[in-house]
Amino acid sequence: MAVREKDPVSGTELTGHEWDGIKEMDTPVPRASRWALWISIAVSVLYWILYPSFPLVSEYARGVLGYSSRAEVTAAVAEADAGREQAFAPFATGDIEALAADASLEARYGASISKLYADNCAACHTGSLKGQPGFPSLADGHWLWSGTPEEIEYTIRYGINALHDETRIAQMLAFGADGMIEKPQVKEVTEFVLSLSGQEHDAAAAEAGSVVFEENCASCHGDDGRGGYENGAPDLGDGHWIYGGSRDDIFQSVYYGRQGVMPAWEGRLSDAQIRMLTLYLLWNAEDAPS
Amino acid sequence: MSTAHQKLERHSLGFAMMILMVASIGGIVEIAPLFTIENTVEEVEGMRPYTPLELAGRDIYVREGCYACHSQMIRTLRSDVERYGHYSLAAESMYDHPFQWGSKRTGPDLARIGGKYSDDWHVAHLEAPRELVPGSVMPGYAFLSETRLSTGHLPAALKALSRAGVPYTDAQIENAEKDAVWQADFEQNFEGELQESYGANVQVRDFDGQPGRLTEMDALVAYLQMLGTLVDFDSLNLEEVNR
Repeated sequence: MAVREKDPVSGTELTGHEWDGIKEMDTPVPRASRWALWISIAVSVLYWILYPSFPLVSEYARGVLGYSSRAEVTAAVAEADAGREQAFAPFATGDIEALAADASLEARYGASISKLYADNCAACHTGSLKGQPGFPSLADGHWLWSGTPEEIEYTIRYGINALHDETRIAQMLAFGADGMIEKPQVKEVTEFVLSLSGQEHDAAAAEAGSVVFEENCASCHGDDGRGGYENGAPDLGDGHWIYGGSRDDIFQSVYYGRQGVMPAWEGRLSDAQIRMLTLYLLWNAEDAPS
Repeated sequence: MSTAHQKLERHSLGFAMMILMVASIGGIVEIAPLFTIENTVEEVEGMRPYTPLELAGRDIYVREGCYACHSQMIRTLRSDVERYGHYSLAAESMYDHPFQWGSKRTGPDLARIGGKYSDDWHVAHLEAPRELVPGSVMPGYAFLSETRLSTGHLPAALKALSRAGVPYTDAQIENAEKDAVWQADFEQNFEGELQESYGANVQVRDFDGQPGRLTEMDALVAYLQMLGTLVDFDSLNLEEVNR
């Protein structure tokens, strides 16, 4: 190839292209940029050799360093767990009764456990523990399955009507919708239930409703409607309601039934965390009237 | 060097061949690994294709753009694993077309949301998020409870997925509409049939709190309640899946 014409000012070669007397210079890419390009290519090849990269014929390329992000995170979590086990040592093992009796724990751990509660429980039971329609209050001291530490721990671990094999089962049947009692009777028993909690009610209908109650409801809720811890049937006379205590709400519950679900937390939370939450509930429900 | 290139530039056929060669190197590097991508998918127990009802729920999830705010990918970071549970496995998205890993979280990751909340909570939360989570910016989806689920397209949807490699049987494709209705049956009359067809981890119940009515809410809640619940982690050897 012929020697190319040079730009007289900069000394750079020209491409030979010319437009209306304007000539194009053939300026090479700056040396630093060229080096940067080649170095980055070399580094990427190095990474490809050192770290896991893409699928090969019978296996993926594992990389010569044997790096594994999964092993790394497993180790990081194990290390954090070990730290937590130390920080929350009292909860690591032990009998929940003894923990509940230890009054010093609340001041030391209450604030940390409130975060655990907020992350896992507050979505249903609310941050104030007071619950909301459909999700019972944990603060009022009224328990469906008794307020002993073991029973609360059991409920958190296995849930109610949850998918776990050990879960508690509680079903309020759809007495009206499933035709077990007629609509007028549902209305009568609704009046009777209103009377149990001392609300305004139709006395004559409640009188008739008491018979319906005895035949259909008393086996779970008890003859006096005060519920029972054996089957999680709520106390109907304490004025505390999960699904509301108005005439309409009670009618809905009797007619269509209720099957509230508390998820099982075993597996999602550690044993120590379940114990912490159990105590947290006890601490916060203590002041409530029983 | 520069003179060789100048020569090449002046031969149109030779130059075209060189362009083709360089471009195909890029193509091979990107495409060839896909032929053996199965090598990177763990062998796990419990993974199964979506049931028709779950698939319908997944389609609603995509239709409503849930992926714009929710990821379904628990990364191998301690913060992720501690908040959301075991890191996601490749196997857990092997029947996803397309996957819902997402690229951004405005709401929380949903990869293991299944079983964390009750059906009632999901229904109430989808209908009016701020009633349950004060300060939430999630839009309400109350219309899902009002909208009957259309099931007519489900056999075709399963068939399309089977062409993409999801192992649906002919019987499953044929029964897709019926299976969708059965899964949300409040009397759970056909739980046995569904579990035999799809696997023991199929959840059968009325999901939306409206017995006898098959709504889009049924489908979406059924989908949410199975997310991340399929793989049997007890039977998984973590050493084998470390990568």
